[in-house]
Amino acid sequence: MNSIGARTLLEKEVRRFLRVPGQTVLQPLISTSLYFIVFGYSLGGRGSVDGVPYLQFIVPGLVFLGLANNAFLNTSSSVFITKIQGTVVDLLVAPLGPLELLIGFVGGAMARGLLVGILTWLVAMVFTGFEVAHPLLTFVMLVLGAYVFAVLGLLAGVWAEKFEQINFFPTFLLLPLTFLGGVFYSVHTLPEPFRTLSQLNPVVHMVEGLRLGMLGVGSESTLGLVLLAAVAVGATALAWRLLDTGYKLKQ
Amino acid sequence: MLPLEVDTLVKDYKGQRALDGVSLSIREGEIFALLGPNGAGKTTLIGAVCGLVKKTSGRITLFGVDADTGGRQARAQVGLVPQEINFDPFFSVRESLALQLGYYGRPKDPARIDEVLAALKLTEKANAPTRALSGGMKRRLLIGKALVHRPKLVFLDEPTAGVDVELRRDLWAYVQRLKKEGTTVVLTTHYLEEAEALADRVGIIAKGKLVLVDDKQALIQRLGERALKVTFQKPASDAPSVGVLSADRLTFTFVEKPSGPNCAEVLGLLYAKGLPIGDVAMQPATLEDVMLRVLENSRAGPEA
Repeated sequence: MNSIGARTLLEKEVRRFLRVPGQTVLQPLISTSLYFIVFGYSLGGRGSVDGVPYLQFIVPGLVFLGLANNAFLNTSSSVFITKIQGTVVDLLVAPLGPLELLIGFVGGAMARGLLVGILTWLVAMVFTGFEVAHPLLTFVMLVLGAYVFAVLGLLAGVWAEKFEQINFFPTFLLLPLTFLGGVFYSVHTLPEPFRTLSQLNPVVHMVEGLRLGMLGVGSESTLGLVLLAAVAVGATALAWRLLDTGYKLKQ
Repeated sequence: MLPLEVDTLVKDYKGQRALDGVSLSIREGEIFALLGPNGAGKTTLIGAVCGLVKKTSGRITLFGVDADTGGRQARAQVGLVPQEINFDPFFSVRESLALQLGYYGRPKDPARIDEVLAALKLTEKANAPTRALSGGMKRRLLIGKALVHRPKLVFLDEPTAGVDVELRRDLWAYVQRLKKEGTTVVLTTHYLEEAEALADRVGIIAKGKLVLVDDKQALIQRLGERALKVTFQKPASDAPSVGVLSADRLTFTFVEKPSGPNCAEVLGLLYAKGLPIGDVAMQPATLEDVMLRVLENSRAGPEA
């Protein structure tokens, strides 16, 4: 393995998003803070959900939203831009295989996802105070969530040929799934058939898994963890294959 | 050990054959110029060797290692200057070179980067963002990126396309310096002049086929058909039979052949005959002539 090569690409990916912190870190922080203020204070500030104050209830979902979105956006935009500006040539000519490319691109995206997720959490703590019910579960959910969405972003970046295509997944899939994914409400309080339908949404289980880890409430199910792990394996296998064969990267 | 061996390489693009059974060996330490018209397959050939193009069939061996199986170790010895300028606008000149060094698995080496910057006259721009460079500087940085990891085999894909005369001379000097340091260089070009100035051997590629590979000197002798054109002040009474006298007897044309006399000797004959010479013009062979002739010959030749 070309470990210096992988590390170089990873460092480059991290420096890339740190060069434009306003866009890559600050902007998502502001938008999640706004969600927090609007949904938490203005709309739901009064009641409690699943036995915790509403303000606290929405924190895990917001952390997950920031984490997933930013991990995804980092790989998808970076890989896509690499193709467009032709710097993919540098990566293809150099002795970098699927493993090095995955470590570099996905590692950089995870750094951004985790940075935004954790900063969101820290901002939330200002309002709610510090609490972690299950540190290990929380840690695993955060890292695995960042990994999964980073790899999905890489797949989107490799596949996309036009700029609008890299937004397909966040706009048409991730955004609806997260808004319908129990970030702002408990799916258990929904009327049928929506309660059952919600169970088909993988984001519901991921958010609930993180909520269990952070707040110790909700279903004791490990389905979120299992789903993330399954997507991680599948997406990694596909990404490996695409990078190995040079799909849409080589002529 | 040969730096590069290509064996019956074929590349099809959506039913179109871009490379049609190309076989080629590059010798250690030589400068090899690949000539050919646009779309002949020069860039595809280089791309296939450097891992940018998926070959359809054939075999590529880099430093004795099959590029398919053990290609990554071998590829660490290879550098490519692509035809298209490609930079990450987020990074400075120095950072671009440092990244490239890292991609090739080499540890950080600021001294080496300084050396490359100096050799390519980019020291002053070391900390400038790449988007702030002029066109010529961008070309030079492109070369720096391909060389910073000290490759043993370097591909330059039309390094001087759209480059001014001064920079072209600089780049030629740099390529010659690389050769002196023992680097093997393969370059593609449109310019016969460039191949003449630099190359040890020349290959001509057309329609995906390598139609000719030869030593530069041999090629120039074989194909460098210079023409001599003499205009007389008044109709000439007589002219040497090696050339052609026009109907009005005012112009004499001679085409130099490897077997016959050269232009100077023929000019001597004209003077010796005391003909009323008014003007003498030489017409050098152009790459176009050479290409056309090679292509014609390859078509006329027996089917291989």
